[in-house]
Amino acid sequence: MDSAEHNVFMSEAMAMAEEAWAAGEVPVGCVFVRGKTIIAKARNRTNQLSNATRHAELEAIDEILADPKLTPPGRGGYPLSETTLYVTVEPCIMCASALRQMGIKEVFYGCANDRFGGCGGVIGVNDELAHPSHPPYRAIGGYAREEAILILRRFYVTENFNAPAPRSKANRILKTEILPR
Amino acid sequence: MALALGLGSSNSKGSLFNHSDSPNVSYTIDSSNDLIHYAATRDIEPNEELCIYYSSNLWFDAVGIHTNETSLEQEKDDGWSGLSNVDIPQQNLPAFFKGSLDDVVPEDDLPFERFKPPPEEETADTVRTVQAWAVDVPEPRSIGPMLKWLRHSEVDASELGHLKRVRKLGEKSTFLLRVSSEPPSLPEDIILPEPYLVTVPSSVALTSTSLSLKTALWPTIYAPRRKGEIEEWSNGKARWAWEAMRAVLPVAAYIPAPYEVSDGAPSRSFIAHDTRQTMAHPLRHAVMNVIRQIADHRAASGEESVDEPAPTAPTDTDADTDSPRNGTNYLLTSQILFTTHEPCIMCSMALLHSRVKEVVYLLPMEKTGGCGGVTCVPTLPGVNHRFSICRWKGDTIWEAGLGLDGSIDA
Repeated sequence: MDSAEHNVFMSEAMAMAEEAWAAGEVPVGCVFVRGKTIIAKARNRTNQLSNATRHAELEAIDEILADPKLTPPGRGGYPLSETTLYVTVEPCIMCASALRQMGIKEVFYGCANDRFGGCGGVIGVNDELAHPSHPPYRAIGGYAREEAILILRRFYVTENFNAPAPRSKANRILKTEILPR
Repeated sequence: MALALGLGSSNSKGSLFNHSDSPNVSYTIDSSNDLIHYAATRDIEPNEELCIYYSSNLWFDAVGIHTNETSLEQEKDDGWSGLSNVDIPQQNLPAFFKGSLDDVVPEDDLPFERFKPPPEEETADTVRTVQAWAVDVPEPRSIGPMLKWLRHSEVDASELGHLKRVRKLGEKSTFLLRVSSEPPSLPEDIILPEPYLVTVPSSVALTSTSLSLKTALWPTIYAPRRKGEIEEWSNGKARWAWEAMRAVLPVAAYIPAPYEVSDGAPSRSFIAHDTRQTMAHPLRHAVMNVIRQIADHRAASGEESVDEPAPTAPTDTDADTDSPRNGTNYLLTSQILFTTHEPCIMCSMALLHSRVKEVVYLLPMEKTGGCGGVTCVPTLPGVNHRFSICRWKGDTIWEAGLGLDGSIDA
């Protein structure tokens, strides 16, 4: 797949992040691609569902598993072994582990996540940690990185009103300069 | 019928006992040292046979008289082949079942081993601060009278007890006064400039890094958490934990109603088990299921509901940040999770996202676990919450039938 195609799918993921932002959610979005087709797209719903584990990736995985056409019974093997994930922010440790348990083929992401990134940001659940059965997968960052950072800043410059005990952000300003990696 | 306890050790002599419903010998299994401790439960008569209590679920007909003393709740059909009803012989109950509910259990007598992560390292961005009134005392000879006035004045600075009272910079001393909206009154007999607001740390420094960060704002008291200085458990709370661990068998995750009732905490228990097979969903682990159950319960009961969406235009930089507009707690704030198996990495991070306080598990999962197995998620650098971990002390009674293939994520 060439980089133009990556960019197309990443902009679809970014559109989901925009939808999350408009709904007052932490703006992270993703699409799952099989062949050259998007089979699921989702975004964060942690505030809406009052459940801090309802990240975009897990929302999309639930959508895929609910559709028997996408996971034909009796096929065996891993449900996502032919599926690629595009996500605006590096998957967190929870999602990185979930993706490995689902046998994801490959992950492309926008910006890294040094608070709880599970694909190298904090720890490499995708391919550094050993696992007795689930195969490792490749996770490559840097696609639409600036957009991914900017939308997060746009969100965090205001309060996350739905997170408990918001810290005052009255003095925060929206920075637009992005340091190179 | 004699149960072999300790066969395979170099000294198997004395390790064969018959069962009795009123045994005269109790035993505890110390698997970390490969020992079984036997103790007489009463005086033994000459030639009396030594008997132990196997379990209430005997796989043979007991010989002799049934006393039925320890008996025996009705067999419950719990959908898990009755495995959750593993009975613990009364005489094998741990020491915290004796004595008053509020007595503190000695660390060694707790039914689990605790692993407490070191305090989260703070950064300049995460140091919490508060605004406090301070006044400069320019004249060194005013310091004595000022201290005397502070001791006798009505200025209540109890919320500043973690800070040094005076900061000296060269000749100038600055006194910390109090946290209040109005400037505090000052002694009339000392000539002082107007008080002003300073930003000071809102808590003590637990680490040397934190100390240097905080002291840059205001001299702060250094109180490193000593080793052993961990929350005490009472007999009552240890019994609560014991019952919770029983409830969790065989493969499940359980959040009991808290032992200490506090405002805002849910007053009911939640339990879920693994449904990967039945739901044909590889991520329906017991922990993920119990978290979802609590979230659904909160949503249905209207707790923690999202009243209003966050503003859709990010222009609000002078928002009223004093009034909390949202729910009070994350899903698992101050909650303790009991689970049969050490949670996998996904589940460990899900618990961290949900701000669980403590995780208690029975069986370690060395190859897949995220609470000390392959990694220890709450101690990774950068993660934004810490929880403590307790590993239930090894005892085959608890682990009966719970063996899982080590390559499975629990």
